[in-house]
Amino acid sequence: MADRPLWRQAFDAAERALAGPAEAAVRSETFNDALAAALRGQRWAQREVERRTRRVLHMANVPTATDVRLLSQQVASLQREVRRLRREQEGEG
Amino acid sequence: MIGPRSLARRARGALRYAGGRDAPEVGATPRELVWSRDTARLWRYAGDAATSPTPVLVVHSLVSRSYVLDLYRGNSAIAFLLRAGLDVLLLDWEAPDEADAENTLETYADDYLPRAIAAACGVTGARELTVLGYCLGGDLALLSVARHPELPVRNLALMATPVDFSHMGALSGLVRAGRLNAADLVDRSGNVPAASVEAAFRLLKPTGEAAQYANLWQRLCDEEYVAGYQAMNRWVHDHVPFPGAAFGQLVEHLVRDNALMAGTLELGGRRVDLGAIRCPVLSVVAERDHIVPLAAAEPLPRLVGSQDAGELRLRAGHVGLVAGRSAATVTLPGIADWIREHGVAAAA
Repeated sequence: MADRPLWRQAFDAAERALAGPAEAAVRSETFNDALAAALRGQRWAQREVERRTRRVLHMANVPTATDVRLLSQQVASLQREVRRLRREQEGEG
Repeated sequence: MIGPRSLARRARGALRYAGGRDAPEVGATPRELVWSRDTARLWRYAGDAATSPTPVLVVHSLVSRSYVLDLYRGNSAIAFLLRAGLDVLLLDWEAPDEADAENTLETYADDYLPRAIAAACGVTGARELTVLGYCLGGDLALLSVARHPELPVRNLALMATPVDFSHMGALSGLVRAGRLNAADLVDRSGNVPAASVEAAFRLLKPTGEAAQYANLWQRLCDEEYVAGYQAMNRWVHDHVPFPGAAFGQLVEHLVRDNALMAGTLELGGRRVDLGAIRCPVLSVVAERDHIVPLAAAEPLPRLVGSQDAGELRLRAGHVGLVAGRSAATVTLPGIADWIREHGVAAAA
């Protein structure tokens, strides 16, 4: 296109050249296997860090993110119970 | 070459963009909350008196914010449908919290949707309505109408609704059997975090963000473009978590078993028979859709039992179906015409 500035023409050419291979790469088996392994590793590392910091913080009697999360899960569980009861009540009504 | 004057205008545009002060208001069309249940909300939009007696219930997707349908003044699918004389309601799932983590596909198809449809009929006084599903919202509508053929759904219009999940490309590659299980992607809240949803979408077009910044730089002097970019950019980075239990079913049944295509989907111990859908069906597919590729949505009309199942195929992308120029000039007029043609005759 004549009305496109030079820098844009260069960018588009580079993008065209890169986009196809990049999209093919993220669809490839190798990429997906690697990403799955990386995500599993990240999850494991996160759990390990949490486990270790939890032990230290509990020794100092400091509540941890895990404790807060447990409380939050209990609240969510109560909320679900209320929803279930309401549905039952509506079913009877 | 960029001259000093052009550079100064761009700098002004960049400052406006960075400051975000001129960002248009998203989701600005006036609306009223007419029903809610848990985090699900049913909104009715205020328009001039509707000329079509069949209201339209828009069912939004589970993974994004619904304001893409009402992006900003001058670029709003909802406002377009209102101007076309339709009574428009929107079923929005909002952002799920921990209490929603155990929501299954049945929760949406058997509970929220039938109740929202009843509420929509109640508030509009209509006996039947048109359901217009977008993306995964289309799948939820499809499941609901198939499992409840008694619902007062006169027509079913589905935009970019995937049914053949074997063609979902990179979005499904990661959770194919042998790689990650749904549980591996769920966080401690029980939901798939919004950041993971966003990252998955970004993966589909690795160079997409760079191209968008290039567009922005090129048109920084264009205030209207920058305003539109701000609204769209906000939406693109504003995903919601995916309820964990429903995500698990999606992975197990729809992705791994491709159960909608195989006709083997069972929910709540009951087989889902898409052949039970007898109302008129319109499948709107986008040829340049990189999220729901054409091949994933294309088989839909062949799977339903309707004698009046058609397709509206457009040279647009996933979002282009509901926002932007192609939406305003092609998609939405096409859908509005179809809805009007398939509506009940207006009372004399």
